[in-house]
Amino acid sequence: MQDSSNKPSPIALSFFHWFCRSEYREEIEGDLMEKFEFNSKKYNHRKANRLFIKEVVLLFRPSLIGNIHQLTNTHIMTSKASNKRFYLLFVGFFSLLFIPFIAMIFTQEVNWNLLDFIVAATLLGGTAICLEFIFRKWKTLGSRLLLASSLIILLLLVWAEMAVGIFGTPLAGS
Amino acid sequence: MLQKSLGEFEEIVLLVVAILEGEAYSVSIIAQIEERLHREASLGAVQTVLKRLEDKGLLLSEFGATTKARGGKRKRLYEITAKGQDILDQTRQQRNSLYEAIPNFSVKLI
Repeated sequence: MQDSSNKPSPIALSFFHWFCRSEYREEIEGDLMEKFEFNSKKYNHRKANRLFIKEVVLLFRPSLIGNIHQLTNTHIMTSKASNKRFYLLFVGFFSLLFIPFIAMIFTQEVNWNLLDFIVAATLLGGTAICLEFIFRKWKTLGSRLLLASSLIILLLLVWAEMAVGIFGTPLAGS
Repeated sequence: MLQKSLGEFEEIVLLVVAILEGEAYSVSIIAQIEERLHREASLGAVQTVLKRLEDKGLLLSEFGATTKARGGKRKRLYEITAKGQDILDQTRQQRNSLYEAIPNFSVKLI
Protein backbone atom coordinates (compact mmCIF):
# COMPACT_ATOMS: atom_id res chain seq x y z
CA MET A 1 0.00 0.00 0.00
CA GLN A 2 1.56 3.28 -1.04
CA ASP A 3 1.02 6.38 1.02
CA SER A 4 0.05 9.28 -1.26
CA SER A 5 2.36 11.63 0.64
CA ASN A 6 5.26 9.23 0.12
CA LYS A 7 6.08 10.39 -3.38
CA PRO A 8 9.21 12.00 -4.75
CA SER A 9 9.51 15.67 -5.58
CA PRO A 10 7.13 16.45 -8.50
CA ILE A 11 9.41 19.29 -9.63
CA ALA A 12 12.43 16.97 -9.88
CA LEU A 13 10.31 14.37 -11.68
CA SER A 14 9.00 16.97 -14.16
CA PHE A 15 12.56 18.17 -14.73
CA PHE A 16 13.59 14.57 -15.44
CA HIS A 17 10.67 14.11 -17.88
CA TRP A 18 11.73 17.28 -19.64
CA PHE A 19 15.38 16.47 -20.25
CA CYS A 20 15.53 12.68 -20.49
CA ARG A 21 15.58 11.05 -23.92
CA SER A 22 12.17 9.55 -24.57
CA GLU A 23 13.57 6.08 -25.34
CA TYR A 24 15.27 5.88 -21.92
CA ARG A 25 12.51 7.51 -19.88
CA GLU A 26 10.53 4.45 -18.80
CA GLU A 27 13.43 2.35 -17.52
CA ILE A 28 15.23 5.24 -15.78
CA GLU A 29 12.05 6.57 -14.17
CA GLY A 30 11.40 3.05 -12.88
CA ASP A 31 14.93 2.91 -11.48
CA LEU A 32 14.46 6.29 -9.81
CA MET A 33 11.16 5.21 -8.25
CA GLU A 34 12.63 1.93 -7.05
CA LYS A 35 15.58 3.69 -5.42
CA PHE A 36 13.23 6.25 -3.87
CA GLU A 37 11.04 3.47 -2.44
CA PHE A 38 14.11 1.70 -1.07
CA ASN A 39 15.53 4.88 0.47
CA SER A 40 12.15 5.79 2.00
CA LYS A 41 12.19 2.50 3.89
CA LYS A 42 15.86 2.70 4.78
CA TYR A 43 15.92 6.35 5.89
CA ASN A 44 12.89 8.64 5.89
CA HIS A 45 10.82 10.47 3.30
CA ARG A 46 12.80 13.69 3.59
CA LYS A 47 16.19 12.07 3.03
CA ALA A 48 14.80 9.80 0.31
CA ASN A 49 13.48 12.88 -1.47
CA ARG A 50 16.83 14.64 -1.16
CA LEU A 51 18.60 11.61 -2.63
CA PHE A 52 15.99 11.46 -5.41
CA ILE A 53 16.68 15.09 -6.39
CA LYS A 54 20.42 14.40 -6.29
CA GLU A 55 20.03 11.39 -8.59
CA VAL A 56 17.93 13.43 -11.03
CA VAL A 57 20.56 16.19 -11.14
CA LEU A 58 23.32 13.59 -11.69
CA LEU A 59 21.31 12.09 -14.56
CA PHE A 60 21.50 15.42 -16.38
CA ARG A 61 24.38 14.44 -18.66
CA PRO A 62 24.89 14.54 -22.43
CA SER A 63 24.42 10.81 -23.00
CA LEU A 64 20.97 10.82 -21.41
CA ILE A 65 19.47 14.18 -22.27
CA GLY A 66 17.42 14.62 -25.41
CA ASN A 67 18.55 16.67 -28.33
CA ILE A 68 18.00 20.41 -28.45
CA HIS A 69 14.73 20.03 -30.40
CA GLN A 70 13.24 17.90 -27.67
CA LEU A 71 14.42 20.26 -24.93
CA THR A 72 13.05 23.37 -26.54
CA ASN A 73 10.19 21.79 -28.47
CA THR A 74 10.49 24.68 -30.87
CA HIS A 75 10.57 23.06 -34.28
CA ILE A 76 9.29 26.33 -35.71
CA MET A 77 12.44 28.07 -34.55
CA THR A 78 14.72 28.72 -37.48
CA SER A 79 18.44 29.35 -37.35
CA LYS A 80 17.99 33.07 -37.95
CA ALA A 81 20.41 35.06 -35.84
CA SER A 82 17.69 36.92 -33.93
CA ASN A 83 15.95 33.67 -33.06
CA LYS A 84 19.22 32.15 -31.96
CA ARG A 85 19.82 35.14 -29.69
CA PHE A 86 16.30 34.92 -28.28
CA TYR A 87 16.75 31.22 -27.64
CA LEU A 88 20.09 31.83 -25.88
CA LEU A 89 18.57 34.61 -23.76
CA PHE A 90 15.67 32.39 -22.80
CA VAL A 91 17.82 29.38 -21.94
CA GLY A 92 20.33 31.62 -20.14
CA PHE A 93 17.69 33.22 -17.93
CA PHE A 94 15.90 29.96 -17.22
CA SER A 95 19.14 28.22 -16.33
CA LEU A 96 19.33 30.62 -13.35
CA LEU A 97 16.53 28.54 -11.85
CA PHE A 98 19.04 25.72 -11.42
CA ILE A 99 20.77 27.73 -8.68
CA PRO A 100 17.97 27.40 -6.08
CA PHE A 101 17.07 23.96 -7.42
CA ILE A 102 20.58 22.62 -6.77
CA ALA A 103 20.97 24.62 -3.55
CA MET A 104 17.86 22.88 -2.17
CA ILE A 105 19.73 19.59 -2.31
CA PHE A 106 22.58 20.77 -0.14
CA THR A 107 20.99 23.17 2.33
CA GLN A 108 17.76 23.67 4.21
CA GLU A 109 18.24 27.45 4.00
CA VAL A 110 16.90 27.45 0.45
CA ASN A 111 13.36 26.12 0.45
CA TRP A 112 11.43 27.06 -2.69
CA ASN A 113 8.03 25.66 -3.46
CA LEU A 114 6.41 25.23 -6.87
CA LEU A 115 4.88 28.74 -6.76
CA ASP A 116 8.30 30.29 -6.13
CA PHE A 117 9.66 28.56 -9.21
CA ILE A 118 6.66 29.62 -11.32
CA VAL A 119 6.99 33.28 -10.23
CA ALA A 120 10.75 33.28 -10.80
CA ALA A 121 10.34 31.61 -14.21
CA THR A 122 7.71 34.20 -15.19
CA LEU A 123 9.96 37.08 -14.13
CA LEU A 124 13.01 35.67 -15.90
CA GLY A 125 11.06 34.69 -19.02
CA GLY A 126 9.43 38.13 -19.16
CA THR A 127 12.83 39.80 -18.86
CA ALA A 128 14.22 37.66 -21.69
CA ILE A 129 11.29 38.61 -23.94
CA CYS A 130 11.68 42.33 -23.10
CA LEU A 131 15.44 42.16 -23.74
CA GLU A 132 14.85 40.57 -27.15
CA PHE A 133 12.28 43.28 -27.91
CA ILE A 134 14.84 45.96 -27.03
CA PHE A 135 17.49 44.35 -29.23
CA ARG A 136 15.09 44.14 -32.17
CA LYS A 137 13.64 47.64 -31.81
CA TRP A 138 16.76 49.66 -31.01
CA LYS A 139 19.83 49.32 -33.20
CA THR A 140 22.42 51.61 -31.58
CA LEU A 141 24.73 50.28 -28.90
CA GLY A 142 24.10 53.21 -26.53
CA SER A 143 20.32 52.87 -26.49
CA ARG A 144 20.53 49.11 -26.19
CA LEU A 145 22.91 49.33 -23.23
CA LEU A 146 20.78 51.96 -21.48
CA LEU A 147 17.50 50.11 -21.93
CA ALA A 148 18.90 46.65 -21.21
CA SER A 149 20.66 47.79 -18.02
CA SER A 150 17.48 49.61 -16.89
CA LEU A 151 15.52 46.43 -17.46
CA ILE A 152 18.01 44.34 -15.48
CA ILE A 153 17.94 46.85 -12.59
CA LEU A 154 14.12 46.74 -12.65
CA LEU A 155 14.24 42.93 -12.54
CA LEU A 156 16.62 42.99 -9.57
CA LEU A 157 14.44 45.51 -7.72
CA VAL A 158 11.26 43.49 -8.29
CA TRP A 159 13.11 40.33 -7.24
CA ALA A 160 14.42 41.97 -4.07
CA GLU A 161 10.98 43.40 -3.28
CA MET A 162 9.35 39.99 -3.67
CA ALA A 163 12.08 38.30 -1.65
CA VAL A 164 12.53 40.65 1.29
CA GLY A 165 10.20 43.62 0.71
CA ILE A 166 12.44 46.67 0.45
CA PHE A 167 9.59 49.05 -0.52
CA GLY A 168 6.78 47.47 1.46
CA THR A 169 4.39 47.10 -1.52
CA PRO A 170 1.69 44.36 -1.52
CA LEU A 171 4.12 42.21 -3.54
CA ALA A 172 6.65 42.22 -0.70
CA GLY A 173 7.78 38.79 0.39
CA SER A 174 8.29 39.99 3.96
CA MET B 1 36.90 0.69 -34.87
CA LEU B 2 37.16 -2.39 -32.68
CA GLN B 3 37.13 -1.67 -28.99
CA LYS B 4 40.43 -2.92 -27.56
CA SER B 5 40.32 -1.77 -23.95
CA LEU B 6 37.89 -0.83 -21.23
CA GLY B 7 37.78 2.09 -18.84
CA GLU B 8 37.97 1.24 -15.13
CA PHE B 9 34.28 1.83 -14.45
CA GLU B 10 33.27 0.17 -17.71
CA GLU B 11 35.16 -2.94 -16.63
CA ILE B 12 33.46 -2.95 -13.22
CA VAL B 13 29.99 -2.61 -14.76
CA LEU B 14 30.71 -5.32 -17.33
CA LEU B 15 31.94 -7.68 -14.60
CA VAL B 16 28.88 -7.01 -12.44
CA VAL B 17 26.55 -7.66 -15.39
CA ALA B 18 28.35 -10.99 -15.89
CA ILE B 19 28.00 -11.80 -12.16
CA LEU B 20 24.28 -11.05 -12.11
CA GLU B 21 23.55 -13.45 -14.99
CA GLY B 22 20.43 -12.03 -16.62
CA GLU B 23 19.26 -10.17 -13.50
CA ALA B 24 21.39 -7.12 -14.21
CA TYR B 25 19.67 -3.75 -14.36
CA SER B 26 20.93 -0.43 -13.12
CA VAL B 27 19.58 -0.62 -9.54
CA SER B 28 20.88 -4.17 -8.99
CA ILE B 29 24.23 -3.20 -10.53
CA ILE B 30 24.55 -0.23 -8.15
CA ALA B 31 23.66 -2.50 -5.20
CA GLN B 32 26.37 -4.98 -6.23
CA ILE B 33 28.97 -2.25 -6.64
CA GLU B 34 28.15 -0.88 -3.19
CA GLU B 35 28.11 -4.31 -1.58
CA ARG B 36 31.19 -5.79 -3.21
CA LEU B 37 33.40 -2.75 -3.70
CA HIS B 38 32.08 -0.42 -0.96
CA ARG B 39 31.92 2.28 -3.56
CA GLU B 40 29.08 4.64 -4.37
CA ALA B 41 27.78 4.88 -7.91
CA SER B 42 25.09 7.19 -9.19
CA LEU B 43 22.29 6.09 -11.46
CA GLY B 44 23.49 8.60 -14.05
CA ALA B 45 27.00 7.14 -14.13
CA VAL B 46 25.78 3.55 -14.39
CA GLN B 47 23.15 4.31 -17.03
CA THR B 48 25.71 6.20 -19.12
CA VAL B 49 28.17 3.31 -19.02
CA LEU B 50 25.47 0.73 -19.76
CA LYS B 51 24.36 2.66 -22.85
CA ARG B 52 27.98 3.04 -23.99
CA LEU B 53 28.74 -0.66 -23.53
CA GLU B 54 25.58 -1.57 -25.43
CA ASP B 55 26.58 0.76 -28.27
CA LYS B 56 29.96 -0.98 -28.39
CA GLY B 57 28.24 -4.35 -28.69
CA LEU B 58 29.53 -5.63 -25.34
CA LEU B 59 26.06 -5.84 -23.79
CA LEU B 60 22.58 -6.79 -24.96
CA SER B 61 19.40 -5.57 -23.33
CA GLU B 62 15.69 -6.22 -23.26
CA PHE B 63 12.77 -4.98 -21.21
CA GLY B 64 11.93 -7.06 -18.16
CA ALA B 65 8.98 -7.18 -15.82
CA THR B 66 7.56 -4.30 -13.88
CA THR B 67 7.02 -4.12 -10.12
CA LYS B 68 4.88 -1.93 -7.91
CA ALA B 69 7.98 -0.32 -6.39
CA ARG B 70 8.91 0.89 -9.87
CA GLY B 71 5.63 2.71 -10.34
CA GLY B 72 4.59 0.39 -13.17
CA LYS B 73 7.71 1.08 -15.22
CA ARG B 74 9.59 -1.79 -16.81
CA LYS B 75 13.24 -2.45 -16.02
CA ARG B 76 15.84 -2.95 -18.72
CA LEU B 77 17.81 -6.14 -18.18
CA TYR B 78 21.33 -6.46 -19.53
CA GLU B 79 23.45 -9.46 -20.41
CA ILE B 80 26.98 -9.75 -21.61
CA THR B 81 27.70 -10.68 -25.23
CA ALA B 82 30.44 -12.98 -26.56
CA LYS B 83 32.37 -9.85 -27.55
CA GLY B 84 31.99 -8.56 -23.97
CA GLN B 85 33.32 -11.87 -22.59
CA ASP B 86 36.29 -11.69 -24.96
CA ILE B 87 37.23 -8.20 -23.92
CA LEU B 88 36.98 -9.14 -20.23
CA ASP B 89 39.28 -12.12 -20.81
CA GLN B 90 41.68 -9.94 -22.75
CA THR B 91 41.70 -7.28 -19.99
CA ARG B 92 42.38 -9.94 -17.37
CA GLN B 93 45.27 -11.38 -19.37
CA GLN B 94 46.78 -7.92 -19.83
CA ARG B 95 46.55 -7.22 -16.10
CA ASN B 96 48.02 -10.58 -15.18
CA SER B 97 50.94 -10.09 -17.54
CA LEU B 98 51.62 -6.69 -15.98
CA TYR B 99 51.48 -8.10 -12.44
CA GLU B 100 53.79 -10.90 -13.44
CA ALA B 101 56.25 -8.40 -14.89
CA ILE B 102 56.74 -6.59 -11.57
CA PRO B 103 60.32 -7.40 -10.47
CA ASN B 104 60.89 -8.65 -6.93
CA PHE B 105 62.41 -5.95 -4.80
CA SER B 106 63.69 -6.05 -1.24
CA VAL B 107 62.03 -4.01 1.47
CA LYS B 108 64.36 -1.78 3.40
CA LEU B 109 63.78 -2.07 7.11
CA ILE B 110 64.53 1.10 9.03
